[in-house]
Amino acid sequence: MSTELDTDVSHNIEIGGDFKGGLGGAMIRHLIILLVLLFVWEMANRTGMGDPLLLPRPTDIVLSIWKIYVTQGNVWYHLWVTFKEAMLGCLIGCIIGIGLATAAVLSDVFRQFLKPYIIIVEATPRIAIGPILVTWFGFGMSSKVALAALVCFFAPFVNTITGLLGVEEESYELFRSLGATRKQVFWRLMIPTALPTMNAGLKLAVGSAFGGALVAEFISAQAGMGILMARYTMSLNMPSAFAGLLSITLYGFILFRIMEFIDYKVLYWRTDELMEKKSLKRSLAWKKEMQS
Amino acid sequence: MADEVVIEAKGLTKAFTETVIAVEDAIFQIPKGSFISLVGPSGCGKSTLLRLIAGLIDKTDGNISVRNAEVTGPRKDIGLMFQKAVLLEWRTAIENVLLPNEIRGDVGPEAKQKAWDGLQLVGLKDFEFSFPRQLSGGMQQRVALARLLQTGADIMLLDEPFGALDEFTRERLNVELLRIVDDPEITTIFVTHNITEAIFLADKVFVMTPRPGRIAAMIDINLPKPRTIEMETTPEFNALIKEVRDVLSGHLDGAPL
Amino acid sequence: MSDVSSDGILKGVKELSLVHKLSMHLGVFVILIGGWELGSRLGYVNELIMPPPTAIGYRLYEMFFITGSIYWHYFVTMFEAVCGFIIGVSIGLSLAVTSAISPVFRRYWAPYAVVFNVTPGIAVTPFIIAWFGFGWSSKIALAALVCFFPPFINTLTGLLYIDKDATELFRSLGANRKQYFWKLQIPSALPIIIAGLKLAMTGALIGAIVAEFFSASEGVGILMQRFAFRLNMDGSFAALIVMSLMGLSLFTLMEYMDVKVLFWRRHSRMEEVSKKRKAKWSIN
Repeated sequence: MSTELDTDVSHNIEIGGDFKGGLGGAMIRHLIILLVLLFVWEMANRTGMGDPLLLPRPTDIVLSIWKIYVTQGNVWYHLWVTFKEAMLGCLIGCIIGIGLATAAVLSDVFRQFLKPYIIIVEATPRIAIGPILVTWFGFGMSSKVALAALVCFFAPFVNTITGLLGVEEESYELFRSLGATRKQVFWRLMIPTALPTMNAGLKLAVGSAFGGALVAEFISAQAGMGILMARYTMSLNMPSAFAGLLSITLYGFILFRIMEFIDYKVLYWRTDELMEKKSLKRSLAWKKEMQS
Repeated sequence: MADEVVIEAKGLTKAFTETVIAVEDAIFQIPKGSFISLVGPSGCGKSTLLRLIAGLIDKTDGNISVRNAEVTGPRKDIGLMFQKAVLLEWRTAIENVLLPNEIRGDVGPEAKQKAWDGLQLVGLKDFEFSFPRQLSGGMQQRVALARLLQTGADIMLLDEPFGALDEFTRERLNVELLRIVDDPEITTIFVTHNITEAIFLADKVFVMTPRPGRIAAMIDINLPKPRTIEMETTPEFNALIKEVRDVLSGHLDGAPL
Repeated sequence: MSDVSSDGILKGVKELSLVHKLSMHLGVFVILIGGWELGSRLGYVNELIMPPPTAIGYRLYEMFFITGSIYWHYFVTMFEAVCGFIIGVSIGLSLAVTSAISPVFRRYWAPYAVVFNVTPGIAVTPFIIAWFGFGWSSKIALAALVCFFPPFINTLTGLLYIDKDATELFRSLGANRKQYFWKLQIPSALPIIIAGLKLAMTGALIGAIVAEFFSASEGVGILMQRFAFRLNMDGSFAALIVMSLMGLSLFTLMEYMDVKVLFWRRHSRMEEVSKKRKAKWSIN
């Protein structure tokens, strides 16, 4: 077991490198390609080469977006329900995950006992417990929250452990030689060192909590994006189903961006720009203090 | 030097397992104000010896005492510096220097002024509020040195502090280190695997040999002070280098390193 | 994407003798299960919520040895997951290799990769069922869809992040593109590719099971859902354990591959391989 890998690969690789840069030219090229693709799709459908029932026309999807957001306006409610479930589940899952991880790191004995169960939990498709949770917690919101929490707790758990155990021996020696207490070592050394890894875990948790809530809704629900899409596809109203899926993508993208932003702000010592800002701020504060 | 002895070891031994003996039967006395270099190849137990003195690890056998008191754990009068600067990267240079005070809970104006002055002393004027990532390797080690001074410790244990730096930076930092620790109150132990550096800095060189880790020789360095880089080319200096080499090669013949 | 694995957890734990460790874990396990059983027997635990371990155990025994009903479901889910895995991994790897070789492709595919990254794959379940019907193919399709991303992103990362010095060495030796790809890029990327495959394996199993929840007539997923909806909790727990076993066996398989392929990352394996190569070595 020696594969020590970076926990958050998506950061190293700027997939959308020149796309994200917001270069006008690149953006336009991307748009043109997208429009061409959509046009081909549309034409294929209109000329009868594609099955409009299964793969609806882009124009129909756009109309459906208009319908579910504006004329009917029903999607807002479902989005809100799923959002609530996912976020609440994510919060609970992260608290459990980080709490367990902290206990496991601080106590060697606990970690030792936990080990086999961690491997089992890692290998089990955790989402599979969905039907049991639905029977336990009923068809309402709580079963979705429970599944979201269960599905998402593992990434913050593992990442917190990895992060906290990743403190270098020399750093411990320095703190010990300075006579630091356990509490000081934990808050001043271990937590800040682990933060980047922990954040990466939280980012993953947000995504999987979302997935967990959707699956619980598929199993049984009265409201939420999962059941909404399921109803649309069952009645073969594919344009509306696609509109729902696109909403989920957009929503996932916004969450992803928010997490990235938090990452960027919290881990200020990892970007030159923020480091410069901070150091200016702190030196001004210092000068003020020394003068008075 | 009939000075007061600050560090004393008698039969000091550290074994990790029955066959891996990192330090065996170390006997020495270190007088106050002296500069000792501990030189030897990798894996000869020099870092272990340093950590025994620092109270970071427990001995297997023998005695190690600082100021006539058995070492049982980290002490306030001992400060450490490592090959890595070990700076907290979320803190600016001066905040890193203030860490010892924060841990002891006495961050007052005095401590702050001392940290500021410390950074000027190690030559980091205008870099007080830079983050470690914005500093070069040599500058990071300077911050670590300032932090060491900030602890107020008068026994300084340095574990290859400039080992990761290039030759030019290392030479300059060595000269500055000598200037800073040139104080009759400060006792320094400097671990290195560079023979020239060991001789250049020290009043006395302890030569260690591996498997088991033993102090094979203690060589007095009677070069005039203050030391200058030019001394490294004198015949006396070369004779000392040869002396250390002879001790080491007597023990290392044939072993692949 | 990320590599979430328990590898790091093993760090820092003192090595005990195997027997000692096993007996300790076994002791804790027995106490946990015993407490649970006792709790049910004494009525502290609602059997409708947490059936006693003996009931679950009996149900497992029944499934495997009396009726033997589980085997077919086991096979179905396993087959769906493995087929999905193979398809998903093939797609992921080919996309990654194409992206690594062609910067133009990489640039124009990137926004779509972002879309795939931020959309939970299982959100597409209803579509997949509508497109592929209620049979096996929809499960395989969902498994493939859910699992293709980790191998894609990991392989791409591995192929692109090659040590600069090594690249220069290959250039100075006059290696051609093909040699560079096979002798440097692929071997250096292997560890991260395999980490991606491990994630994909779990993903494929999840995809197959979720598709079964949505609509299926056979498979462990639908079996467990039927039990749960009939409030047959011991049955659904038994099915959950079966899924755990399935996950563990696939996991072990991936671990085995990891050990076999990445021999240069483990001391014991290095010794083995170096002995083998020494035996095979001859100048002619």
